[in-house]
Amino acid sequence: MNTTRTRYGTGYRFLTIGIAGWMTVVIVAGLVLSIPRLNILEESARNLYFHVPMWFALMAGMIVSAVYSARYLMKPTLERDVRAEQAALVAMLFGVLGLITGMVWARFTWYVGTGKWWNFDPKQSMTAVQLMVFAAYFVLRSSIDEPRKRGRIAAVYNLFAVAIAPFLLYVLPRQLESLHPGGEGSPAFSQTDLAPEMRMVFYPAVIGFIALFWWIYTQRVRLRLAEERLADG
Amino acid sequence: MDWLHGAWAVFQKDLRLELRTRYAINALLLFVVSSLLLVAFAIGTGQVGERVASALLWVVIVFAGAVGLGRAFVAEEERGTVLLLQLHLRPSMVYAGKLLFNVLLVGAMNAIAAVGFVLVLGLEVEAVGLLAATLALGALGLAGAMTLLSAIIARAASGGPLLPVLAFPLLIPLLLTVVRVTQRALLLGASAGPWDASAGDLVTLGAYAGVVITASVLLFDYVWND
Amino acid sequence: MQAPITPTDSTDAAVYDSVWAAIPDAPPVGLETVMLQQDKLYVVLAVVLIIWFGVLFFLFRTDRRLAQLEDDLDARPEREDTFGA
Repeated sequence: MNTTRTRYGTGYRFLTIGIAGWMTVVIVAGLVLSIPRLNILEESARNLYFHVPMWFALMAGMIVSAVYSARYLMKPTLERDVRAEQAALVAMLFGVLGLITGMVWARFTWYVGTGKWWNFDPKQSMTAVQLMVFAAYFVLRSSIDEPRKRGRIAAVYNLFAVAIAPFLLYVLPRQLESLHPGGEGSPAFSQTDLAPEMRMVFYPAVIGFIALFWWIYTQRVRLRLAEERLADG
Repeated sequence: MDWLHGAWAVFQKDLRLELRTRYAINALLLFVVSSLLLVAFAIGTGQVGERVASALLWVVIVFAGAVGLGRAFVAEEERGTVLLLQLHLRPSMVYAGKLLFNVLLVGAMNAIAAVGFVLVLGLEVEAVGLLAATLALGALGLAGAMTLLSAIIARAASGGPLLPVLAFPLLIPLLLTVVRVTQRALLLGASAGPWDASAGDLVTLGAYAGVVITASVLLFDYVWND
Repeated sequence: MQAPITPTDSTDAAVYDSVWAAIPDAPPVGLETVMLQQDKLYVVLAVVLIIWFGVLFFLFRTDRRLAQLEDDLDARPEREDTFGA
């Protein structure tokens, strides 16, 4: 299989330095700048800058993985398969982090005194299901030895899961109550509808974490392609 | 050979083979009956609420589907008839034939499972028509998803235990909706008519089946052809 | 947890108030004694640390793969620099 030589030049290096600086500013601003005071949330509202972008990074990973799965089916190259695989892997990392941080945030904010860690929130459940899909994707990959067949079958499963994913968006919120904004009766941010001074940090945080996803993802792609090139001799 | 004729031929072939060996039918039937007995024994003589009953019914159906429907394409690989089908028929014909057979199989299984549950657990059905519609739409969605997944399984090395792993996350939207409608069909004295309350959910079920089957038709070529 | 059967009663804000707006009277115990200090700022600290450790975990995994890659490179029969030494 022909491996495309992917050199990452000075542009890439400058971008990664930029991401590192950007994220540093986001973390400092997120912890230091003042925020409007809400009753139950108090200072924990700052988690908006750190917990919510996990979900955006997960979405970015899902989209990148699906796009490269579709492109692999159009024209199978090793690079496209590696990109679909690694995007799913890094998306899983952010999905797990989003799940755990969400559990910690809810446990010590809304569920103080109840001892509840898991609450069947729609977004929580959706993330859990998506993680199950990715886990199944990797189990499927590991069960096929021949690389071309592995790439093709895994891409089909990935795209099949993507086709069904919108139903989760529609079905789960009708079944379950939500802490998250957007759902009716949610006490989390609906009253404030995200204060302007929080937007100033929130949007850069989302961009920063998506960029961080991209950095880790491209790093993994480089690693995998280098491994394949070495294996080919 | 025109498209419908080809798909029908695949369906007839599968049906005839099945009637000869009765492997899938017997396996599914036994699975449903034995899990029904397990549920009945585990619950004992106590009364079960409609919420738990509908959840149990669909969990049994989904498990039976995941265990029993994996054979469709694996059998072709084992008999070595894949190449023959690949040569003579377009992929969409094969998919349509297999889908039709699976829908029939799951539909029959759903009917048996539902009747068994109602009799064994002593449930009263408020809206028989709604329950039947749910079982039919559920069968369509379940068979639609499982047909493509069983084709995927046939390509992977370790067939058996992989199918539930692949299927369950994708079946969650179906399961949640179906359980809710079944619950309404069993619930006595619902304030609004169960049909009116379930209209949105039935549309969801229909859309799920439609999306699953459309996606399968689009993706099946890549699984089927080497 | 009982899910609402009809979608209409999920718009009822009172249902949610009873779930979330209840500020407990009992003094916090266990982990909560720590987490609720400083206006719940420690919750933010916990979340930031979890993300940091998650990214670190991934970095270490990538690092191990790179080390393996370097070992394989060393084990490869010399080709380019045969006449150098």
